[in-house]
Amino acid sequence: MTMVQVRPAPAPARRSVPGRIRVISGITVASLALLFAALAVGSSSARDGLRVIGRDAGPQVVASAGLYLALSDMDAQVANLLVIGRDYGPRRAEALKQYDARRVEAHRALLEAFELSGDNEAERQTVRSVLDGLGRYERLAGQALLLNDQANHAAGPPPDDVVRTYRTATDLMRLVLLPQAYNLTLESGTIVRRTYDEKALMVPLVRVAVAVAGLVALGCLIWLQVFLARRFRRVFGPALMAATVTTAVAMIFGVNVLSQDERALRTAKSDGFDSVLTLARARAISNSMQGDQSRYLLDKERADTYEHTYLDKSLSVVYYEAGNLSTYHQQVSSGTTGGLGMLGPELVGRDGAKVMRAYQDFQRADAAFRRLVTDGRANEAVAERLGRTMTAFGSYDQALQSMAKSHEQVFERAIGTGENALDNLWRLMPFAIGAIGLLVIAGVWPRLKEYR
Amino acid sequence: MKRVLAVALVLVALAAAGCGMSGRESILDKDELVIGVRTDLPSVGFRAGGKFDGFDVDVARYVAGRLGKEVSFLGVLAADREKVLTQGRADLVVATFTIDQDRKQRVLFAGPYHVSYQDILTRRDDTISNVRDLKGRKICEVQGANAAKRVVEERGVAAQVVPFPDYKRCLAALKDRQVDAVTTNDVILAGLAAEDGSGLRLANAQFNEQRSGIGMAKGDVAGCEAVNRAITDMYQSGTAKKLLDKWFGKSGLDLSTIAVPQFEGCS
Repeated sequence: MTMVQVRPAPAPARRSVPGRIRVISGITVASLALLFAALAVGSSSARDGLRVIGRDAGPQVVASAGLYLALSDMDAQVANLLVIGRDYGPRRAEALKQYDARRVEAHRALLEAFELSGDNEAERQTVRSVLDGLGRYERLAGQALLLNDQANHAAGPPPDDVVRTYRTATDLMRLVLLPQAYNLTLESGTIVRRTYDEKALMVPLVRVAVAVAGLVALGCLIWLQVFLARRFRRVFGPALMAATVTTAVAMIFGVNVLSQDERALRTAKSDGFDSVLTLARARAISNSMQGDQSRYLLDKERADTYEHTYLDKSLSVVYYEAGNLSTYHQQVSSGTTGGLGMLGPELVGRDGAKVMRAYQDFQRADAAFRRLVTDGRANEAVAERLGRTMTAFGSYDQALQSMAKSHEQVFERAIGTGENALDNLWRLMPFAIGAIGLLVIAGVWPRLKEYR
Repeated sequence: MKRVLAVALVLVALAAAGCGMSGRESILDKDELVIGVRTDLPSVGFRAGGKFDGFDVDVARYVAGRLGKEVSFLGVLAADREKVLTQGRADLVVATFTIDQDRKQRVLFAGPYHVSYQDILTRRDDTISNVRDLKGRKICEVQGANAAKRVVEERGVAAQVVPFPDYKRCLAALKDRQVDAVTTNDVILAGLAAEDGSGLRLANAQFNEQRSGIGMAKGDVAGCEAVNRAITDMYQSGTAKKLLDKWFGKSGLDLSTIAVPQFEGCS
């Protein structure tokens, strides 16, 4: 039985015209399917990339950086309240208000970070651990503030029991909670880099595949027309010609959209996300630097530790070769940057110059503040800390923030452009698929009918 | 159809990725990692009976285990740490390698895996409790280490620096009252004090935060991120606390707050 089947099988296909039409049409439809399948794979890959980078990791950077800033500022405000003492009434009320506002912000940011962490178990555990720790921190900070009120001391370092209680609180904040918030921000950076590397490889490859599949489909359509023209002595098959043109347009449109998305991903990452992440980290570290100023004033025994962490953080933000803080202050005010440190590559253009000027101002204020502390003029040092250094930090932070804003806009625009291009493509593609299908049938069916 | 195409494309992509990375291998592509550890620091990184042991060694084992790699250790001294990485003799260096901006220009740092402080070791009867108390006192300086210099230059404390070739002789001099204090990384001091066993006192002064990172060859961003995730696991699972208790629980080191390391970032 098998022997019988093997021999005659190819014969009818070679001989009968309808058989050949069916085979060529089959190949054409298959190649068209390949084209649209490639387009679908490419689009879903690009869309996935845009979603991970634009809707998950990007917002997670903003949420976790917001968490860090809120937490760090809570601790700084507690330190401020402890050095203010019974003097500076309005400042005190202001610091209390800001502490409460930051607490609310921190709780919100935690909720948001938890939602955005999706099914990433390590991230979720980090958020949970920060949540647990924050409750403990608030209790300890409350105790320190209560003891501080009872002590009713003049502006300057509070009594020892206050300092000791605050130490437990700030250690929890600085050594346990803040690093976790910071690492959450970095983890988003890792996710973006991985996704981007994968997509930057995948999308161009799929684009080539779409082009190849498209050319094959066009070739098949032309082959079908040439065959029909020869057999049936017709020069034009309008339906098939329309199908060919539609296929060509779909292919060109598809390739175009994929390369647009490739560009969108690149812009979103390199011109947007990378800078947003760097600036978020720089803002976080800078904020804890101003906290270190208050802590330096507050805790005499640990003053050296806090001065060193301040220097260490300064070095990581804008690097100069400096073995101690006063050398660093001198180097910063000299103005030239070697482009090293976290902010190094960002300090370009007008915005960069503005940030640098604000940073110099902040460091100058820091030098003046520390001179007052070492001279033992505690009351004036408190005034300086709450006055000039705070204002200088405020404008430095503002400059960083406005620089970040412009990168955020680039980021959001790129993600939006990429998503729009895909939306437009797939708004039209179903029609193109339907039209091509109908046109192929319209072109082939009447010819097959002639054999009935 | 879609799936077949996707699979084919992924295969092509992987092949292309393989070609692209061949110039600079990631630690993730290796089955076995050579990890540089110290051999001269009791409790931190030392060799006992031909076997490497200590806190750093346990951390190295944990990280390699999380990455699913076999480990072989390479003994390094302080001065070799950068060299073994740049020459490609070690894949990772876990050897109380303090992260600083200068080193970062030549090596990539994953971690830190542990945050420690510069601290002071004194005789039990001495009252030194703070770096300021070192003013006018004699402190020992081990050649090649910059800890004593940092007291004088960075902190501006006028201590008298007395040079010694290694920690062993430093400790002997401390007990003989030729010097009044030894200062360096607290885990190193804790290890030395525990080994010495004669009741030297760690001041827990905790000045100068020191972040010990895991050194890697520059450029291996994916590898560095994977190491960071392993370190996150080490802290989240409580292993870090267990290891610190195991090696420093009885050394006088203050372990009341286990600091979570804030990562340096891999790019």
